[in-house]
Amino acid sequence: MKTDVFIAGDCIISPLGMGSKLNFEQLLTGETAIAPVDDATLADHRIHAARIADHQWIGKIRNASGYTRLETLFILAIQQLIDAHSIPVDRRTLVLLSTTKGNVSLLHNPEAQFPENRIYLAEMAHAIQHYFGFANAPITISNACISGALALSVARQLLQYSDTYDQALVVGGDEISKFIVSGFEAFQALSDGRCRPFDRDRNGLNLGEAIAAAYVTKKATDDAVRIKAAASFNDANHISGPSRTGEGLYRSIREAMQLAGEPMLDFISAHGTATVYNDEMEAIALHRAGLSDTPLHSLKAYYGHTLGASGLLETILGIHSLRANRLIPSLGFQHTGTSKPLNLITQPTERPLGTFLKTASGFGGCNIAMIFEKV
Amino acid sequence: MDVPSHYIQSYCTIRDRSIALNGTTWLKMDSSTTLADFLKSAYRQLDIDYPKFHKMDGLCKAIFIATELMTRDSGPYPSDTALIFSNRSSSYLSDNKHALGIFNTENATASPATFVYTLPNIALGEISIRHRLHSENVFFIFDRYSPEFLVPYTQAALDDKKLANAISGWTEISGHTCDLLLYYIGKSGSVPHTVAQLKRIYNEHE
Amino acid sequence: MSELTQELKAKIITQLNLEDLTVDDLDDHTPLFGDGLGLDSIDALELIVMLDKSYGIKLSDPKEGRKVFETVQTMADFIEANRK
Repeated sequence: MKTDVFIAGDCIISPLGMGSKLNFEQLLTGETAIAPVDDATLADHRIHAARIADHQWIGKIRNASGYTRLETLFILAIQQLIDAHSIPVDRRTLVLLSTTKGNVSLLHNPEAQFPENRIYLAEMAHAIQHYFGFANAPITISNACISGALALSVARQLLQYSDTYDQALVVGGDEISKFIVSGFEAFQALSDGRCRPFDRDRNGLNLGEAIAAAYVTKKATDDAVRIKAAASFNDANHISGPSRTGEGLYRSIREAMQLAGEPMLDFISAHGTATVYNDEMEAIALHRAGLSDTPLHSLKAYYGHTLGASGLLETILGIHSLRANRLIPSLGFQHTGTSKPLNLITQPTERPLGTFLKTASGFGGCNIAMIFEKV
Repeated sequence: MDVPSHYIQSYCTIRDRSIALNGTTWLKMDSSTTLADFLKSAYRQLDIDYPKFHKMDGLCKAIFIATELMTRDSGPYPSDTALIFSNRSSSYLSDNKHALGIFNTENATASPATFVYTLPNIALGEISIRHRLHSENVFFIFDRYSPEFLVPYTQAALDDKKLANAISGWTEISGHTCDLLLYYIGKSGSVPHTVAQLKRIYNEHE
Repeated sequence: MSELTQELKAKIITQLNLEDLTVDDLDDHTPLFGDGLGLDSIDALELIVMLDKSYGIKLSDPKEGRKVFETVQTMADFIEANRK
């Protein structure tokens, strides 16, 4: 029996602050978390990135010294959701963690403060399980930059088609480390200033940090949002280069739209990393899907690319957009910079909103499209 | 249990320095062989021309070999075959290599060809390219082989999209050891897709 | 000059894991990308790292790379002209 699945609660910890409502309001005022960062532990030169400040997490949990920075942030977000929605920690609750690299900053790092076995994601999951006493070991998803959205999709599938769980906590997060900065740098993917998604003059992405958490349940509350459809397809083209035809993303969008009954979309929350090839690929896929005219934003110029959190972070902000009936502008966009023009949102417009599409794409050729609607 | 809707059509195990297809040994080498030499020998024994194989990391190579063997047994994978994989160490082999490179005090280097493999799902991309699979991919990280989670999830994913086929399993490659079980699921066969069967298959390879 | 091209061929084969090739298989004028050797965008990035680490030449414009990496010969010419 197919039951509907809803997002009934959410939490965001980002450099813009703690709490998703606060984060949403910051976006409407045009606030950005991206700033110049001069930190020799990350790179030997200045980068532009969005980092969570020490005061946001240090000393905020029990037995604080037993948990890494990233684990502490995950715990803080989960605690918020448990407190707000009285979520039980028993067998009926599944915790899904989404991260690309977890505690990888500890690996071979001469300054690491924790034993190296903590780089294993199962160890991180275990630490989080232990903190709350969850009956089930948290399950981790590590599927590149679609991890956050994919974890939501996996939670929906499990709640809808298996009777193992009643609710899920889906939590995504990654932190900026030398490991990640040096890799993106080697890919020549980092922007020399604040990124400009879909803009003519875009020249790369910014890395960002955020923790995003969603309470996924079969019970609809008044302000819940329904996970209407999800679809995910691989490009089967190249392990790092975006497909020139946008094949996997196009198929994901088409199937999600079909599964959702071809709804009218009020807006699209794109991936929009602001690299030359990614944004072009998305424009082509959206054009092929006949969605070039739908209002669209990328939130990467507010938060940077938050990797394992991004799909979830941007979904949650999309949900707040629905609730508030306000469109979030796509920061950093001025001139059309893709071969197929898109309808970028430039003003925080107020209008009735009911349904939106979230997309994400990542290394390995993975893509996902999800549709959310107000209850 | 009700009548199962899906069956295990073929499976491949790689344990240390031996590879078996459907329980029958296909390659066995001395335990002193390095992982790299072992995987290269397996590639040579496949007798195919796929130069990209040599660019892959150990995780991708092992997964590539297993999926290559299974398709020889069960025929080409349909393009919508879902890929649902899991392991403990994620992409540790490449993570280790990248971290050693960037923290090298003599000559710190970040290699793009290493960094790209520091995500476990790259392996899913590699086999999608090889077998032309435009399908759903998920890479889970567990503490240990967990058919108790994988079976209900795989079933849910197949039911959700009304799919007939998936490749699923456990692909733990770290340092020198290999502990891999991949299986191909379809609508017909004699071995039902159940936790009990998957425990049996996992344990049959010594 | 031919010493440099030989050295480059060996480096390209090891760095890019072109396992099935030897230095003798690689002609000075074979296109490295496209229909020639079939290298891809990750290989191009890897060659940029190689120029930097082995010859101290930094290449930040990927468009420039396309010309430099056309063949082993064009790479050698570029290195000769820019080497410190």
